[in-house]
Amino acid sequence: MKMIIDGRGIYGIPGETILEAAKRAGISIPTLCHHPAFPGQGRCRLCLVEVNRKGVKRVVASCTYPLLEEGEEGEEMEVKTSTPEIEEIRKDIVMLLYKQAPASKLMQDLFRQYRCAENSLRENSGEKCILCNLCARACEEMGTGAISLVMRGTEKRLATPFDEASPDCIGCGACAAICPTGAIEMKDDKESQKRHIWHQHFDLVPCARCGELFATKKQLDFIARREGKSYETSYYCEACRKKHTAKTIADFRRRRE
Amino acid sequence: MGEDRIREMSIEKIIKKYPADRRYLLAMMQDIQKEFNFLPKESLGLMAGYVNLPQAKVYSMATFYKAFSLVPKGRYCIKVCDGTACHIKGSNILIDQIYQLLNIMPGETTWDGEFSLETVNCLGACAIAPVMLVNGKVYAKVTSGKLAEIITWYREANHE
Repeated sequence: MKMIIDGRGIYGIPGETILEAAKRAGISIPTLCHHPAFPGQGRCRLCLVEVNRKGVKRVVASCTYPLLEEGEEGEEMEVKTSTPEIEEIRKDIVMLLYKQAPASKLMQDLFRQYRCAENSLRENSGEKCILCNLCARACEEMGTGAISLVMRGTEKRLATPFDEASPDCIGCGACAAICPTGAIEMKDDKESQKRHIWHQHFDLVPCARCGELFATKKQLDFIARREGKSYETSYYCEACRKKHTAKTIADFRRRRE
Repeated sequence: MGEDRIREMSIEKIIKKYPADRRYLLAMMQDIQKEFNFLPKESLGLMAGYVNLPQAKVYSMATFYKAFSLVPKGRYCIKVCDGTACHIKGSNILIDQIYQLLNIMPGETTWDGEFSLETVNCLGACAIAPVMLVNGKVYAKVTSGKLAEIITWYREANHE
């Protein structure tokens, strides 16, 4: 459908969101709980934009607002990614998320960037998690689903069931890798070749080529099981796998020449 | 057969009344809560396995709803309404008085497992505020005097 984002005419593909259409056009909208690998969650509300359809203005979360098939004859949707009102709302959101996770470097930076004013709202001191749920999404997508948002209201947090070692966790670290605020603690100990995450220790496996500890045993087992293969004896880390593939192709070509 | 296995079997019996689909989880939880007065730890795993969901999802749901408890509740579950109307009519005084009488705060259970106390946000009976429930029985316009009588009545005899 035809639409205007920040004064620029754009063709939105039905099914995509305002955020995706804007991104395609090179217009950036700030987000915290969004990751291109997943559908929008509409959690952090930072991506709010003003939508004007048939003269009706609404403030919507651009990461979940879908572009539909062609609108009515001559209807054009107009989107503004920044208005004084939107900026004011974003400023409040940043302030509140900073209060939720004052120990997060990202939120501290945003708090300054948005020129938020200090106030007497109680800070969740020491906390880094902004409850964006990306870790749980990543975990679910991985096929494990070991962590989730638990409790509600002010007690809401990310956890494994009963805050215990979860048998579903494979120690892949996808949660820690995707976390925008570095709230998930993961420690790899080279000496003991163990990874500590979510209340348990996992055996780390070295790359058969370079020796780097690149994955957990349980993770490789999980992948092998999912692929319907048996556990291989030697695994290459990502960098070595690329090198290995490149070398195979090069050798193949050399032999042909 | 061990006690654990017997409990597990009765949980399974409840769960299997419903089709193996995630949308029946809430109904299963309600039935289990009703049967045991709380959701036993193993029940979450059994439900998760039955509807083929990670346990974390089920745990997330169980902790989201106030109606469910993951720790055993007392034989008599007192629910004091602390909605707006009841609050204005002095429900906080009732909560304080329960603390004096039974030494439990909202969310806690007496050491002998007889009483547990919860607050609820509205029971939808504001006209008879302040309202209190004991095992589902409604007590209307509760005063300090009435409260003491109710507690004594439950404490002294085996009422259901």
